[in-house]
Amino acid sequence: MNPAELTAYITSNFSGQLETVENDQAEPYFIVPLSDLVPFSKFIHDDPQLELNYLMNMAGVDTGEQFEVVLNPCSLVNMQRLFFKVVLDRGDPKFDTVSNLWAAANWYEREIWELYGFEITGHPNLKRFLLPDDWDDGFPLRKGWVGKNVIPLPEK
Amino acid sequence: MTQDLHTEKMVINMGPHHPSTHGVCRLILTLDGENVVECEPVIGYLHRSIEKICENRTYAQCIPLMDRFEYVTSMSCNWVFALATEKLTDLEIPERAEYLRVIMTELNRIASHLLCIGVTGLDLGALTPFLYTFRERELILDLFEMTCGQRLTYNYIRIGGVSQDIPDEFIPKCREFLDIFDEKVDDYEKVLTENPIWMARNKGIGVISKQQVYDFAISGPSARASGVDFDIRRDDPYSVYDRFDYTIPVFEGGDSYDRYRARVQEMRESAKIIGQALDQLPGGDIRAKVRAMFKPKAGEVYSRIENSRGEMGIYLLSDGGKKPVRVRARGASYNHLLIIPEIIKGLKIADLVAIFASLDVILPEIDR
Repeated sequence: MNPAELTAYITSNFSGQLETVENDQAEPYFIVPLSDLVPFSKFIHDDPQLELNYLMNMAGVDTGEQFEVVLNPCSLVNMQRLFFKVVLDRGDPKFDTVSNLWAAANWYEREIWELYGFEITGHPNLKRFLLPDDWDDGFPLRKGWVGKNVIPLPEK
Repeated sequence: MTQDLHTEKMVINMGPHHPSTHGVCRLILTLDGENVVECEPVIGYLHRSIEKICENRTYAQCIPLMDRFEYVTSMSCNWVFALATEKLTDLEIPERAEYLRVIMTELNRIASHLLCIGVTGLDLGALTPFLYTFRERELILDLFEMTCGQRLTYNYIRIGGVSQDIPDEFIPKCREFLDIFDEKVDDYEKVLTENPIWMARNKGIGVISKQQVYDFAISGPSARASGVDFDIRRDDPYSVYDRFDYTIPVFEGGDSYDRYRARVQEMRESAKIIGQALDQLPGGDIRAKVRAMFKPKAGEVYSRIENSRGEMGIYLLSDGGKKPVRVRARGASYNHLLIIPEIIKGLKIADLVAIFASLDVILPEIDR
């Protein structure tokens, strides 16, 4: 399926509300409602026409205005790619784990949990990952984070 | 008397400074005698917060940081970041630059595989192949040094092209290397491939099934050794890879031995690509005109390339300003380390070393 067919197939076969974002990249791009993250992931993972069984990348994002989680699955069967994201509640950032669908998401999510402080419901192993074990200095990848030991450069 | 005899499980740390962890990685092992019951990787010793630093640098300043993302194949790191950025611009990359990128990255792939094969031998007690592979790796590093002055962190592939043209002596030197290289690979194979000790240590060890390749997002030679015919150069094409004639070696075993064989075959194929690229190398510019204050369009993109270890990708979010809003670097080793606890269960500690080496896990790529 080419990207346009893929977009049409997904929007017509998935029961939830999807927002399609027009862009000039090679893959379809969706914004999925937060409550539909797991059903949507399950749909694209299990559907025999899609079989997006390989999670290339998963990233937390802080745009400065909102928290997002971006997922890039692809299929090693028919080599299709997809790009989708969920927007989190800024006051209470929280989403359900997809690591039981894609095992690779285990560490991707652990990293997001640690560096962004998003709560991940149902994740099997949320432990310190990249930062030191005794880290208590907030969530460094959030915008506007200033660490205790960060000395800002003088203004020019 | 005999019913009082019992064994206890023992928990030990392997690393962080263990020579066969290829960087700084700690593995918490639960052992029953010499058998591994559980293995938990602890990482973060090499965390340099490259992603956070990128958010405070301009796009051009991010490229040297990417060199440090995965310093064994810096060319691919430079390239994948440049590729992601270029997708958000209208830049026309000159043909010569694309060919130079292919030549350099394939040379880098050979250098990386030579390192991997040599070091795997070293980890398993075979010193000779290490000396052989490093002899040829040296020739490749000399080629890089004459092109961009660096042997390890090149900063060569830039947004819009490459930093400088190759010197006149590059092509003859490179051809000289390609002429001898195939025979040298035969030499490594003579020492290793049919070697009974090598086969005993690697065959049937650390088998990754096809389903695990999908679930854990294993890529590169490690996926192709498990029978998954997947290569980004062919399946998600970028640059000028569609103009070369090469095959993608696929093996069915999924064990350490097949991962080794996949790497050996890949080196031969890479040498073929370089030969063809040198034949077709066009003249002309080496860099598109990029403004000094470079700003891509607003947008987001995930771009990926085939690195020597597997899929290397960059997720880039731009708001149209001079600095990226978010950069996430994805390296293949990240997923390869994640699968080790799954495939090590029930094997011996010595097998762990073989698996670790054959998956070619490089820690800076994981910690970033």
